[in-house]
Amino acid sequence: MLIPFFIHIIPAHFLAKPYPILYLCKMQLASNLLENAVNEFAKLPGIGKKTALRLVLHLLKQDTAEVSHFGETITKMRTDIQFCNRCGNVSDAAICTICANPLRNQRLICVVENIRDVIAIENTQQFSGTYHVLGGIISPLDGVGPEQLNIESLTNRIQTEETEELIFALNPNIQGDTTIYYIQKKIQQLPCKITTIARGIAFGGELEYADELTLARSLTNRLPVGSYISNR
Amino acid sequence: MLFFRQLMLTQFRNYVFDSFTFTQNVVGISGANGSGKTNLLDAIHYLCFTKSYFSRPDAQNVHQGMQGFRLQATVTRQQQDFELLCILRENNRKEFLIDGDAYKKFSSHIGRFPCVMIAPDDVELISNGSEERRKFIDTLLSQLNEDYLKNLIDYTKILQQRNSLLKAAAEHNRLDDALLDILDEQLSERATNIYNRRNDFMQEFIPAVQQEYESIAGKGDEVHINYYSQLHHNSMQRLLRENRPRDLYLQRTGAGIHKDDLEFSMQQQAFKNIASQGQRKSLLFALKLAEFNILKQYKGFAPVLLLDDIFEKLDAARMHNLLHKVCVQQQAQVFITDTHKERLESAFEQLGIGFELVKLE
Ligand SMILES: Nc1ncnc2c1ncn2[C@@H]1O[C@H](COP(=O)(O)OP(=O)(O)OP(=O)(O)O)[C@@H](O)[C@H]1O
Ligand SMILES: [Mg+2]
Ligand SMILES: [Zn+2]
Repeated sequence: MLIPFFIHIIPAHFLAKPYPILYLCKMQLASNLLENAVNEFAKLPGIGKKTALRLVLHLLKQDTAEVSHFGETITKMRTDIQFCNRCGNVSDAAICTICANPLRNQRLICVVENIRDVIAIENTQQFSGTYHVLGGIISPLDGVGPEQLNIESLTNRIQTEETEELIFALNPNIQGDTTIYYIQKKIQQLPCKITTIARGIAFGGELEYADELTLARSLTNRLPVGSYISNR
Repeated sequence: MLFFRQLMLTQFRNYVFDSFTFTQNVVGISGANGSGKTNLLDAIHYLCFTKSYFSRPDAQNVHQGMQGFRLQATVTRQQQDFELLCILRENNRKEFLIDGDAYKKFSSHIGRFPCVMIAPDDVELISNGSEERRKFIDTLLSQLNEDYLKNLIDYTKILQQRNSLLKAAAEHNRLDDALLDILDEQLSERATNIYNRRNDFMQEFIPAVQQEYESIAGKGDEVHINYYSQLHHNSMQRLLRENRPRDLYLQRTGAGIHKDDLEFSMQQQAFKNIASQGQRKSLLFALKLAEFNILKQYKGFAPVLLLDDIFEKLDAARMHNLLHKVCVQQQAQVFITDTHKERLESAFEQLGIGFELVKLE
């Protein structure tokens, strides 16, 4: 059964990348300072040791002043940045630019999981209300209960700001649902409309390949053709 | 029917690289102990279910000392050809492609290329705890209904969340009632869907199994089968509500569809207490053949049948009955393994059917 002669038949792409991890564990750098810097960069998400080395070598070629500026920018970003007292978004002041903007509808709150979602929705330029960043979603399995999230501040906001509509823009999964139901339950006696972003067939997606649940949801949440066309 | 034309195995268990071509409906696979017969069947199972029949981690299937494996097959399903490809990368990431397109969710593959496997240890289905039987029923229903699988995956996740919440409540001596209420609602919704589906299905499945058993074993020892579920008499909402104090004390969910079972009995006694080994085997075959028939009926074509070492423990008459059933009456591709080439040959010749033999060294 063992026919080593046949190994050459194995498609090349299948066996590509020969043992990158082994090789890099043995990476020998002549300087501890260099090695420390590489290790720091490699801690960043999506950066492996190889890329880290490339970035560090690039910095090494720059002027000292330029690299100092780079370092200071990072430090300042971390020490000076604040989180908006009202919505939890990143901010340079106690209240973020979105909350402070009088042109935005302050009675409309879009509830998101994290700051990245705020950026994603802002990039669409389709939303002119405010946000509320939960800082996660409810998942007891991961040790995240309602008290770990900015839920109380949200219910307080709805009460004091006389919010008219709460839009949930959470990921369409079970924990997202749990979080929505939980908050809904907490605020059910308040006169605030609750909606969620539509879930359904992705634009450019093909019906045939959508799973049954998505297709069923799209049918339930169907739109008048007029609004469908104008939304495209 | 579903037909495997070609199968290529790379670095999969004892295979470094091997390629097989099949042309007949009946394929006999012979070879000594340890020659890779079961592994070959499992490779086919992998391509139908995106995972091993023997619930072991993907990495254990990589040929010792190597990294990654690759399974590839050309199959024909109702006159249409498909290329199935399963790759375990060096970093243990699994990819599954059909005609070059990678699945986003492996669960969407389940049921498109159905197969039924019967392996020697499967009698555990009858003698072991209820978990094996639920797994059997779930595997079958998941192939029939994508929605069922989705509900099942959700149910399992919510159950884990609920149990974690019960634990956290005990640790911190404080419970968020509102959150538990919501998890109960979410759990109940899925449980009700799953229960309804199982219950409907049993009306059809139980008589089918009994009929198969009779045709393998002959009239005489009649098997009684009962679908047990706590949901027969109570809604899931009610079960959760009534059991809450106990659940909080035990820190886990004590009632629900995860306690369902199939109960077998013969002459008013538990089947596993009185049945002989041959009778157990017969019941196992009856369950699997009923599964095969139902899949065939729902899908409109015959699944692939994988029969591993079935010659052990069945008497000649039962064996002949069984082979006649699966090789002659069914339009299906059947893979049968045995250590004795001659035994396979003479069995097929007796039936007077076309077949091919693969001899493993
Ligand atoms: N990861 C692996 N790498 C290399 N060899 C493996 C691996 N896993 C299993 N094997 C080998 O595969 C063989 C078992 O194959 P398999 O179970 O298919 O045999 P079989 O032909 O079904 O035998 P039997 O007649 O006893 O059922 C063993 O010899 C085992 O050493
Ligand atoms: Mg075997
Ligand atoms: Zn703000």
